[in-house]
Amino acid sequence: MHSFPRPQERHLHVERTPVEGACPECGAPDLAAYRVLSEGGWWDVVKCQRCLASVRRDPAPPLGSLVPLGTTV
Amino acid sequence: MLGVDVGGTFTDVVCVRDGRIAVTKVPSSRTDPAGPVVEGARRLGVEGATVFNHASTMGLNAVIERRLPKIAFLTTDGFRDVLDRGTIHRPLDAQTDPAWRRPFGDAARPIVPRYLRRGIVERMRADGTVFRPLDEDQARAELELLKRCNVEGVAICLINAYVDDTHERRLRELAREVLGDDVAISISSEVSPLAKEYARSSTTVIDVLMKILFGAYSQRLDRELRELGFDGALNFADCAATLLPWDEALRKPYRIVFAGPAAGTISSVRLGEAMGTGHLVCADVGGTSTDVSLVVDGRPFVRTTFELEHDLIINALSTEVSSVGAGGGSLVTVSHGGGIQVGPGSAGADPGPACYGRGGTVPTVTDACLLMGILDPDGFAGGELALDVEAARAAFAALDTPIPYGERVATAFRLAVAHMAEEITDVCVRHGVDPRDFSLVAYGAAGPMLLPAALELLPLKEVVVPPHPGLFSALGLLSTDLVYYDSRSAYVVLSPDTAAEIDAVYAEMERELRERVGPVAEGLPVRRSFDGRLLGQSWETPFVQLPDGPLDAGTIGEVVARFHDAYEARNGNRFEYIPVEGVTYRVELVVPADKVPYVPADAAGPTTPQPEATFTLEHLARDPLQAAIHRRERLPVGAQVAGPAVIREDLSTTFVLPGQRARVGRLGEIVIEREEQA
Repeated sequence: MHSFPRPQERHLHVERTPVEGACPECGAPDLAAYRVLSEGGWWDVVKCQRCLASVRRDPAPPLGSLVPLGTTV
Repeated sequence: MLGVDVGGTFTDVVCVRDGRIAVTKVPSSRTDPAGPVVEGARRLGVEGATVFNHASTMGLNAVIERRLPKIAFLTTDGFRDVLDRGTIHRPLDAQTDPAWRRPFGDAARPIVPRYLRRGIVERMRADGTVFRPLDEDQARAELELLKRCNVEGVAICLINAYVDDTHERRLRELAREVLGDDVAISISSEVSPLAKEYARSSTTVIDVLMKILFGAYSQRLDRELRELGFDGALNFADCAATLLPWDEALRKPYRIVFAGPAAGTISSVRLGEAMGTGHLVCADVGGTSTDVSLVVDGRPFVRTTFELEHDLIINALSTEVSSVGAGGGSLVTVSHGGGIQVGPGSAGADPGPACYGRGGTVPTVTDACLLMGILDPDGFAGGELALDVEAARAAFAALDTPIPYGERVATAFRLAVAHMAEEITDVCVRHGVDPRDFSLVAYGAAGPMLLPAALELLPLKEVVVPPHPGLFSALGLLSTDLVYYDSRSAYVVLSPDTAAEIDAVYAEMERELRERVGPVAEGLPVRRSFDGRLLGQSWETPFVQLPDGPLDAGTIGEVVARFHDAYEARNGNRFEYIPVEGVTYRVELVVPADKVPYVPADAAGPTTPQPEATFTLEHLARDPLQAAIHRRERLPVGAQVAGPAVIREDLSTTFVLPGQRARVGRLGEIVIEREEQA
């Protein structure tokens, strides 16, 4: 049986990786890369953390972070 | 009088001076849309003209193609995806398609990208009381962000602002402070103070876009027309093809996002008035499609909304026009089963039908008409374009089907007509009218060539071919009045207790309307109507007319009775025991404008003119038929032409089928009936 630790934080956030560069829309040097679930499925995006404009948007695996066991053996 | 129709490809300018019509066509320009209009006006001369009426698809094309300025959308926190969800209607063919996306959704091509749709902390209740005060600091922070993003416009639509606009007005003041006066701003409580937040939001967004697109354009147009010597009135046509002075149009420019097919309907109404008939089916046959609309008792069907693309609706009054993908340029192809099919694809203007000789190899309906002998290869478009019969023949011969050649041509013609007849039937059924009481007005360059054949399929009274059928829609711009209107929402159950409240809404709108229109409104009546519903319904019965005079406890009963009459006429049921709730209240003030006159000629007895020549009508029947050729301008009033025959004019050809008879009316119109009726 799996055992997952109970989260201690009140809100869980996806891990965001800082990205070099400035937002082409608002000019803020505050870009980050992470995965989002949006219309059309999962996407790997680079978004401005000030205005939330998507600088990059690439399709992620259909099931997001979930990797079914059968696909790896 | 001048009318200009700015299309995506061409800008058509029509001028009526001393009863004579002149036309010019100038290629439209995306980068300089005012240029072709001014050029057309210069060619035809605008000195001394009393009106310059302008219709344009510029706004609609910009929205469809997303050639839009960068704007932001501010709404109540938590509601920014209102614009993305629309009404959640899904087209029938997408019901089972998981990959279908709403065309203006975030995953497709949003009108306002999500990062520019920002939530503002505030909340007004539906009764106009404040649930959450406007957080000005948060609003300023959002506006500062928009400033850094260099937006050109801001649409503001807060929840329930149609009931109380305090927060919207304050937010506009803040936006002015932060963004400056150069950024266009629209607020929903001014643009369209109606209930239902999605349509109010989308209308406000389109309004601010049109402010930016039409603002500099119309000022330049006005200035350059004046420089050419024009000192009349510049008017813009709206989605219902009624006219607004250009400065009034720019007050709420979402109304002029599109004006086109409705002009033909208005033109038909005017022709019907002159002929003394109010029951009309109007059909505009273009190169790609046929636009069908209905006029009952001299009034077209008007919708309370206009749909720019699927589910992208705005609160603009619009004439109801249905389209079917069959026209003169419709492609004739072979189905998987080997049968002939027509449309919905079209050859367009380039390369055009095979017979144009511009490289088109797929046959079209125009090619079929040429091979049948209906079209004159040397007299097409006033003789400007020689048609290549051999190219048309080769295109039909190349179709990969076992169907014999002659049958391919005849089937293409008959299928095109059948598609149009089916659409006309749909429109009649949808509105519950009997086509036997209706005349079919056939216009557009290809209308008179194809639509008389619909008499074989439909029990219509007659087909009417107006004078100048190819220019009929453009002439509609010179056949309409100036119409000022306004509307407002308030959910109020109609009863003697609430009559004064509703009357106050009308009185305020009427006062504002008369102020805007100025002295010219003196003595003109303001027509009042409302959209109402049975209490508990979620949809409205629109345009219930109010009786003249003030609304009070004594007259409210008449208003309720009129609602039930309208409801019964529309739905076939009457529920007098259910209270009626008013939703949207409308006022309209019509200012008569100069129009193209229809001057009837003296009546004349029937004559049977000699044909100019004859031709062999191929493929329509089992054997070729000998048919007469007439020139329209040489047919006097009262002239009767028995089919098979063609009546040619510079920009159009009328085809009278065997078993039909055409006669020329006092207005120059051609009326085609079945032989047994005539």
